[in-house]
Amino acid sequence: MAAVLPAVVEQLLSEMAAAVQENARSTGLRLKFLFGSSATQALDLVDRQSITLISSPSGRHAYQVLGSSGKTYTCLASCHYCSCPAFAFSVLRKSDSILCKHLLAVYLSQVMRTCQQLSVSDKQLTDILLMEKKQEA
Amino acid sequence: MAETLRRVLTRDGAAWSGEENTPVAGPPLLLLGAPGSGKTTLLFAAALEAAGEGQGPVLFLTRRPLQSLPRGTGTTRDPMRLQKIRFQYPPSTRELFRLLCSAHEAPGPAPSLLLLDGLEEYLAEDPEPQEAAYLIALLLDTAAHFSHRLGPGRDCGLMVALQTKEEADSGDVLLLALLQRYFPAQCWLQPDAPGPGEHGLRACLEPGGLGPRTEWWVTFRSDGEMMIAPWPTQAGDPSSGKGSSSGGQP
Repeated sequence: MAAVLPAVVEQLLSEMAAAVQENARSTGLRLKFLFGSSATQALDLVDRQSITLISSPSGRHAYQVLGSSGKTYTCLASCHYCSCPAFAFSVLRKSDSILCKHLLAVYLSQVMRTCQQLSVSDKQLTDILLMEKKQEA
Repeated sequence: MAETLRRVLTRDGAAWSGEENTPVAGPPLLLLGAPGSGKTTLLFAAALEAAGEGQGPVLFLTRRPLQSLPRGTGTTRDPMRLQKIRFQYPPSTRELFRLLCSAHEAPGPAPSLLLLDGLEEYLAEDPEPQEAAYLIALLLDTAAHFSHRLGPGRDCGLMVALQTKEEADSGDVLLLALLQRYFPAQCWLQPDAPGPGEHGLRACLEPGGLGPRTEWWVTFRSDGEMMIAPWPTQAGDPSSGKGSSSGGQP
Protein backbone atom coordinates (compact mmCIF):
# COMPACT_ATOMS: atom_id res chain seq x y z
CA MET A 1 0.00 0.00 0.00
CA ALA A 2 2.01 2.96 -1.25
CA ALA A 3 1.18 6.59 -0.84
CA VAL A 4 -0.81 7.80 -3.79
CA LEU A 5 0.56 10.84 -5.55
CA PRO A 6 -1.31 12.56 -8.34
CA ALA A 7 -0.13 11.22 -11.69
CA VAL A 8 1.15 14.61 -12.75
CA VAL A 9 3.34 14.71 -9.66
CA GLU A 10 4.70 11.23 -10.27
CA GLN A 11 5.58 12.09 -13.84
CA LEU A 12 7.16 15.35 -12.89
CA LEU A 13 9.27 13.70 -10.20
CA SER A 14 10.65 11.26 -12.78
CA GLU A 15 11.37 14.00 -15.26
CA MET A 16 12.91 16.12 -12.56
CA ALA A 17 15.22 13.31 -11.54
CA ALA A 18 16.33 12.81 -15.12
CA ALA A 19 16.74 16.54 -15.66
CA VAL A 20 18.80 17.04 -12.56
CA GLN A 21 21.04 14.20 -13.55
CA GLU A 22 21.52 15.82 -16.93
CA ASN A 23 22.02 19.22 -15.37
CA ALA A 24 19.01 20.68 -17.16
CA ARG A 25 17.15 23.47 -15.40
CA SER A 26 13.91 23.80 -17.36
CA THR A 27 12.00 21.16 -15.45
CA GLY A 28 12.50 23.28 -12.38
CA LEU A 29 9.92 25.72 -13.73
CA ARG A 30 7.19 23.12 -13.73
CA LEU A 31 8.22 21.92 -10.32
CA LYS A 32 7.95 25.45 -9.01
CA PHE A 33 4.54 25.85 -10.62
CA LEU A 34 3.21 22.83 -8.78
CA PHE A 35 4.93 23.28 -5.48
CA GLY A 36 5.96 26.89 -5.26
CA SER A 37 8.95 27.76 -3.18
CA SER A 38 8.92 24.28 -1.64
CA ALA A 39 10.40 23.06 -4.91
CA THR A 40 13.67 24.97 -4.72
CA GLN A 41 13.96 24.26 -1.04
CA ALA A 42 13.35 20.56 -1.61
CA LEU A 43 16.00 20.43 -4.34
CA ASP A 44 18.34 22.19 -1.98
CA LEU A 45 17.73 19.57 0.69
CA VAL A 46 18.50 16.82 -1.81
CA ASP A 47 21.67 18.59 -2.92
CA ARG A 48 22.85 18.93 0.63
CA GLN A 49 22.28 15.22 1.32
CA SER A 50 19.84 16.10 4.06
CA ILE A 51 17.63 13.03 3.64
CA THR A 52 18.38 9.83 5.47
CA LEU A 53 16.63 6.53 4.90
CA ILE A 54 16.51 4.71 8.21
CA SER A 55 16.06 1.00 7.80
CA SER A 56 15.82 -1.88 10.23
CA PRO A 57 16.23 -5.67 9.96
CA SER A 58 12.44 -6.07 10.02
CA GLY A 59 12.17 -4.21 6.72
CA ARG A 60 10.26 -1.33 8.26
CA HIS A 61 11.79 2.00 7.48
CA ALA A 62 11.28 5.73 7.83
CA TYR A 63 12.94 8.90 6.61
CA GLN A 64 14.56 11.74 8.50
CA VAL A 65 15.23 15.09 6.94
CA LEU A 66 17.62 17.65 8.36
CA GLY A 67 15.75 20.90 7.93
CA SER A 68 17.31 24.24 7.19
CA SER A 69 16.76 25.28 10.79
CA GLY A 70 18.91 22.41 11.99
CA LYS A 71 15.93 20.46 13.27
CA THR A 72 15.40 16.90 12.16
CA TYR A 73 11.94 15.85 10.95
CA THR A 74 10.58 12.36 10.53
CA CYS A 75 8.67 11.45 7.39
CA LEU A 76 6.65 8.32 6.70
CA ALA A 77 6.89 7.26 3.08
CA SER A 78 4.06 4.72 3.08
CA CYS A 79 1.61 7.56 3.47
CA HIS A 80 2.02 11.33 3.46
CA TYR A 81 3.24 12.39 6.86
CA CYS A 82 5.93 14.78 8.05
CA SER A 83 6.45 15.98 11.58
CA CYS A 84 7.25 19.54 10.54
CA PRO A 85 4.93 22.44 11.45
CA ALA A 86 4.50 23.36 7.79
CA PHE A 87 2.93 19.98 7.11
CA ALA A 88 0.54 20.41 10.00
CA PHE A 89 -0.44 23.90 8.97
CA SER A 90 -0.46 23.94 5.19
CA VAL A 91 -1.40 20.43 4.40
CA LEU A 92 -3.75 19.49 7.19
CA ARG A 93 -5.47 22.75 7.93
CA LYS A 94 -5.43 24.87 4.87
CA SER A 95 -5.20 21.97 2.46
CA ASP A 96 -3.58 24.14 -0.19
CA SER A 97 -0.17 22.48 -0.39
CA ILE A 98 0.18 19.01 -1.75
CA LEU A 99 3.38 18.25 0.13
CA CYS A 100 5.77 20.01 2.46
CA LYS A 101 9.34 20.55 1.25
CA HIS A 102 10.63 17.66 3.37
CA LEU A 103 8.21 15.14 1.87
CA LEU A 104 8.94 16.50 -1.58
CA ALA A 105 12.65 16.09 -0.88
CA VAL A 106 12.03 12.50 0.28
CA TYR A 107 10.15 11.63 -2.91
CA LEU A 108 12.77 13.30 -5.06
CA SER A 109 15.55 11.40 -3.36
CA GLN A 110 13.59 8.16 -3.83
CA VAL A 111 13.27 8.77 -7.54
CA MET A 112 16.87 9.85 -7.85
CA ARG A 113 18.00 7.02 -5.60
CA THR A 114 20.24 9.29 -3.65
CA CYS A 115 20.02 9.68 0.08
CA GLN A 116 22.01 8.80 3.13
CA GLN A 117 21.45 5.38 4.53
CA LEU A 118 21.34 4.47 8.17
CA SER A 119 20.75 1.01 9.56
CA VAL A 120 19.32 0.73 13.04
CA SER A 121 17.99 -2.12 15.13
CA ASP A 122 14.28 -2.85 15.29
CA LYS A 123 14.18 -1.45 18.81
CA GLN A 124 15.93 1.74 17.76
CA LEU A 125 13.42 2.26 14.96
CA THR A 126 10.61 1.92 17.47
CA ASP A 127 12.21 4.62 19.59
CA ILE A 128 12.65 6.90 16.59
CA LEU A 129 9.00 6.53 15.63
CA LEU A 130 7.87 7.01 19.23
CA MET A 131 9.93 10.13 19.68
CA GLU A 132 7.69 11.97 17.27
CA LYS A 133 4.84 11.55 19.71
CA LYS A 134 4.76 14.75 21.65
CA GLN A 135 6.25 14.35 25.09
CA GLU A 136 3.72 14.44 27.89
CA ALA A 137 3.85 17.81 29.58
CA MET B 1 -10.20 -3.18 2.69
CA ALA B 2 -13.28 -2.00 0.87
CA GLU B 3 -13.11 -5.24 -1.12
CA THR B 4 -13.33 -7.43 1.97
CA LEU B 5 -16.21 -5.34 3.29
CA ARG B 6 -17.90 -5.59 -0.05
CA ARG B 7 -17.52 -9.33 0.09
CA VAL B 8 -19.09 -9.35 3.55
CA LEU B 9 -21.88 -7.21 2.26
CA THR B 10 -22.39 -9.20 -0.92
CA ARG B 11 -21.95 -12.73 0.31
CA ASP B 12 -25.65 -13.21 0.87
CA GLY B 13 -26.24 -11.96 -2.61
CA ALA B 14 -23.88 -14.63 -3.96
CA ALA B 15 -21.99 -11.98 -5.83
CA TRP B 16 -18.69 -13.53 -4.89
CA SER B 17 -18.11 -16.43 -7.24
CA GLY B 18 -15.14 -17.68 -5.26
CA GLU B 19 -12.87 -17.45 -8.28
CA GLU B 20 -10.83 -14.70 -6.74
CA ASN B 21 -8.36 -16.78 -4.79
CA THR B 22 -5.96 -13.97 -4.10
CA PRO B 23 -8.01 -11.37 -2.31
CA VAL B 24 -6.68 -7.89 -2.71
CA ALA B 25 -7.17 -5.88 0.41
CA GLY B 26 -7.89 -2.63 -1.34
CA PRO B 27 -7.49 0.82 0.17
CA PRO B 28 -7.83 1.51 3.89
CA LEU B 29 -11.48 1.77 4.87
CA LEU B 30 -13.09 4.01 7.45
CA LEU B 31 -16.40 2.99 9.03
CA LEU B 32 -18.39 5.90 10.39
CA GLY B 33 -21.61 6.07 12.31
CA ALA B 34 -23.36 7.19 15.48
CA PRO B 35 -23.39 5.00 18.59
CA GLY B 36 -25.29 1.79 17.96
CA SER B 37 -25.07 2.05 14.20
CA GLY B 38 -23.39 -1.33 13.88
CA LYS B 39 -19.74 -0.41 13.36
CA THR B 40 -18.31 -2.96 15.79
CA THR B 41 -20.55 -5.66 14.38
CA LEU B 42 -19.49 -4.93 10.83
CA LEU B 43 -15.84 -4.71 11.84
CA PHE B 44 -16.08 -8.10 13.50
CA ALA B 45 -17.80 -9.57 10.46
CA ALA B 46 -14.92 -8.36 8.31
CA ALA B 47 -12.47 -9.92 10.78
CA LEU B 48 -14.22 -13.30 10.52
CA GLU B 49 -14.33 -13.03 6.75
CA ALA B 50 -10.63 -12.31 6.49
CA ALA B 51 -9.78 -15.03 9.03
CA GLY B 52 -11.61 -17.53 6.87
CA GLU B 53 -9.59 -16.65 3.80
CA GLY B 54 -6.57 -18.39 5.26
CA GLN B 55 -4.22 -15.55 4.40
CA GLY B 56 -2.95 -14.98 7.89
CA PRO B 57 -4.04 -13.87 11.33
CA VAL B 58 -6.24 -10.86 11.95
CA LEU B 59 -5.29 -8.17 14.45
CA PHE B 60 -8.26 -6.51 16.19
CA LEU B 61 -7.46 -3.47 18.31
CA THR B 62 -9.98 -1.95 20.64
CA ARG B 63 -9.87 -0.10 23.91
CA ARG B 64 -11.97 -2.50 25.95
CA PRO B 65 -12.59 -6.22 25.54
CA LEU B 66 -15.84 -6.85 23.72
CA GLN B 67 -18.51 -7.73 26.29
CA SER B 68 -19.87 -10.39 24.00
CA LEU B 69 -19.07 -11.47 20.52
CA PRO B 70 -21.04 -9.39 18.07
CA ARG B 71 -23.69 -11.20 16.12
CA GLY B 72 -22.14 -13.11 13.28
CA THR B 73 -23.39 -14.38 9.99
CA GLY B 74 -23.95 -18.02 9.35
CA THR B 75 -20.97 -20.32 9.27
CA THR B 76 -18.47 -17.56 9.84
CA ARG B 77 -18.73 -18.03 13.57
CA ASP B 78 -16.83 -21.31 13.54
CA PRO B 79 -14.07 -21.58 16.19
CA MET B 80 -11.29 -21.99 13.63
CA ARG B 81 -11.92 -18.49 12.36
CA LEU B 82 -12.26 -17.03 15.84
CA GLN B 83 -8.90 -18.48 16.78
CA LYS B 84 -7.24 -16.55 13.98
CA ILE B 85 -8.36 -13.20 15.40
CA ARG B 86 -5.83 -11.70 17.82
CA PHE B 87 -7.38 -9.15 20.14
CA GLN B 88 -5.30 -6.46 21.76
CA TYR B 89 -6.59 -3.73 24.07
CA PRO B 90 -4.35 -0.66 24.19
CA PRO B 91 -5.85 1.25 27.14
CA SER B 92 -4.60 4.70 26.13
CA THR B 93 -3.47 6.68 23.11
CA ARG B 94 0.10 6.39 24.28
CA GLU B 95 -0.20 2.61 24.42
CA LEU B 96 -1.69 2.55 20.95
CA PHE B 97 1.24 4.62 19.68
CA ARG B 98 3.63 2.21 21.37
CA LEU B 99 1.89 -0.78 19.82
CA LEU B 100 1.99 0.69 16.32
CA CYS B 101 5.57 1.98 16.55
CA SER B 102 6.82 -1.42 17.71
CA ALA B 103 4.67 -3.51 15.36
CA HIS B 104 7.74 -4.51 13.35
CA GLU B 105 9.31 -6.00 16.50
CA ALA B 106 6.42 -8.41 17.12
CA PRO B 107 7.30 -12.01 16.29
CA GLY B 108 5.12 -14.39 14.35
CA PRO B 109 3.38 -14.12 11.00
CA ALA B 110 2.19 -10.74 9.84
CA PRO B 111 -1.56 -10.15 9.98
CA SER B 112 -3.50 -10.00 6.75
CA LEU B 113 -5.96 -7.53 8.26
CA LEU B 114 -5.58 -4.80 10.85
CA LEU B 115 -8.73 -3.47 12.50
CA LEU B 116 -9.21 -0.69 15.02
CA ASP B 117 -12.50 0.00 16.80
CA GLY B 118 -13.20 3.28 18.54
CA LEU B 119 -10.69 5.60 16.90
CA GLU B 120 -12.60 8.55 18.36
CA GLU B 121 -11.67 7.50 21.89
CA TYR B 122 -7.97 7.55 21.09
CA LEU B 123 -8.20 10.84 19.21
CA ALA B 124 -10.09 12.47 22.08
CA GLU B 125 -6.98 12.31 24.25
CA ASP B 126 -4.93 14.32 21.76
CA PRO B 127 -7.00 17.06 20.20
CA GLU B 128 -4.11 18.48 18.15
CA PRO B 129 -4.47 17.74 14.43
CA GLN B 130 -0.79 16.86 14.07
CA GLU B 131 -1.05 14.19 16.77
CA ALA B 132 -4.20 12.84 15.16
CA ALA B 133 -2.47 12.82 11.78
CA TYR B 134 0.49 10.93 13.19
CA LEU B 135 -1.73 8.31 14.79
CA ILE B 136 -3.61 7.77 11.55
CA ALA B 137 -0.42 7.81 9.49
CA LEU B 138 1.09 5.19 11.81
CA LEU B 139 -1.94 2.96 11.31
CA LEU B 140 -1.34 3.12 7.58
CA ASP B 141 2.40 2.67 8.00
CA THR B 142 1.88 -0.38 10.23
CA ALA B 143 -0.44 -1.96 7.66
CA ALA B 144 2.10 -1.14 4.94
CA HIS B 145 4.82 -2.87 6.93
CA PHE B 146 2.63 -5.96 7.40
CA SER B 147 1.97 -5.94 3.65
CA HIS B 148 5.69 -5.90 3.05
CA ARG B 149 6.19 -8.84 5.39
CA LEU B 150 3.41 -10.83 3.75
CA GLY B 151 5.40 -10.78 0.54
CA PRO B 152 4.70 -9.92 -3.07
CA GLY B 153 1.10 -10.09 -4.23
CA ARG B 154 -0.30 -9.98 -0.72
CA ASP B 155 -1.55 -7.04 1.25
CA CYS B 156 -2.56 -6.30 4.79
CA GLY B 157 -5.88 -4.48 4.80
CA LEU B 158 -6.79 -1.73 7.23
CA MET B 159 -10.25 -1.02 8.59
CA VAL B 160 -10.98 1.58 11.24
CA ALA B 161 -14.26 2.47 12.95
CA LEU B 162 -14.99 5.98 14.16
CA GLN B 163 -18.01 7.04 16.16
CA THR B 164 -19.59 10.26 14.96
CA LYS B 165 -21.65 12.69 16.97
CA GLU B 166 -25.19 13.70 16.14
CA GLU B 167 -24.06 17.18 15.18
CA ALA B 168 -20.59 18.04 13.94
CA ASP B 169 -18.72 21.08 15.23
CA SER B 170 -15.83 22.86 13.53
CA GLY B 171 -13.27 20.52 15.10
CA ASP B 172 -15.12 17.56 13.67
CA VAL B 173 -15.09 19.09 10.20
CA LEU B 174 -11.33 19.44 10.39
CA LEU B 175 -10.96 15.89 11.62
CA LEU B 176 -13.16 14.58 8.85
CA ALA B 177 -11.07 16.38 6.21
CA LEU B 178 -7.98 14.83 7.76
CA LEU B 179 -9.54 11.38 7.78
CA GLN B 180 -10.65 11.65 4.17
CA ARG B 181 -7.11 12.52 3.21
CA TYR B 182 -5.83 9.24 4.63
CA PHE B 183 -8.89 7.05 4.12
CA PRO B 184 -10.10 7.38 0.56
CA ALA B 185 -12.68 4.62 1.10
CA GLN B 186 -15.46 5.20 3.63
CA CYS B 187 -18.59 3.43 4.76
CA TRP B 188 -21.29 5.39 6.54
CA LEU B 189 -23.69 3.48 8.79
CA GLN B 190 -26.99 4.70 10.15
CA PRO B 191 -30.10 3.07 11.51
CA ASP B 192 -32.58 3.12 8.68
CA ALA B 193 -34.95 0.90 6.79
CA PRO B 194 -36.49 1.03 3.35
CA GLY B 195 -40.04 0.73 4.59
CA PRO B 196 -42.30 1.58 7.52
CA GLY B 197 -42.26 -0.93 10.37
CA GLU B 198 -38.89 -2.29 9.28
CA HIS B 199 -35.59 -1.99 11.13
CA GLY B 200 -31.94 -2.29 10.30
CA LEU B 201 -28.93 -0.34 9.16
CA ARG B 202 -28.21 1.55 6.01
CA ALA B 203 -24.59 1.12 4.91
CA CYS B 204 -23.35 3.55 2.31
CA LEU B 205 -20.05 2.38 0.87
CA GLU B 206 -17.87 4.90 -0.96
CA PRO B 207 -14.81 3.12 -2.36
CA GLY B 208 -13.08 6.41 -3.03
CA GLY B 209 -12.93 6.54 -6.78
CA LEU B 210 -12.25 2.86 -7.24
CA GLY B 211 -15.86 2.03 -7.82
CA PRO B 212 -19.35 3.41 -7.64
CA ARG B 213 -21.04 4.29 -4.38
CA THR B 214 -23.23 1.42 -3.26
CA GLU B 215 -25.81 1.16 -0.52
CA TRP B 216 -26.83 -1.84 1.50
CA TRP B 217 -29.48 -2.78 3.99
CA VAL B 218 -28.23 -4.69 7.02
CA THR B 219 -30.71 -6.40 9.35
CA PHE B 220 -30.58 -8.89 12.18
CA ARG B 221 -32.96 -11.78 12.54
CA SER B 222 -34.39 -12.73 15.91
CA ASP B 223 -31.67 -15.38 16.30
CA GLY B 224 -28.99 -12.76 15.73
CA GLU B 225 -28.14 -13.70 12.16
CA MET B 226 -27.06 -10.72 10.06
CA MET B 227 -28.74 -10.37 6.69
CA ILE B 228 -27.44 -8.10 3.96
CA ALA B 229 -29.21 -6.97 0.83
CA PRO B 230 -28.71 -4.17 -1.64
CA TRP B 231 -30.63 -1.08 -0.60
CA PRO B 232 -33.75 -0.81 -2.74
CA THR B 233 -33.33 1.88 -5.36
CA GLN B 234 -35.34 5.02 -4.88
CA ALA B 235 -36.97 5.01 -8.28
CA GLY B 236 -40.41 3.50 -8.11
CA ASP B 237 -39.97 2.48 -4.49
CA PRO B 238 -43.28 3.21 -2.79
CA SER B 239 -41.72 3.07 0.67
CA SER B 240 -39.05 5.67 0.02
CA GLY B 241 -41.02 8.41 1.67
CA LYS B 242 -39.04 8.28 4.88
CA GLY B 243 -37.34 11.55 4.12
CA SER B 244 -34.08 10.91 5.90
CA SER B 245 -32.33 9.22 3.02
CA SER B 246 -29.18 11.30 2.95
CA GLY B 247 -28.87 12.12 6.62
CA GLY B 248 -25.64 10.24 7.01
CA GLN B 249 -23.68 11.86 4.23
CA PRO B 250 -21.02 14.46 5.03
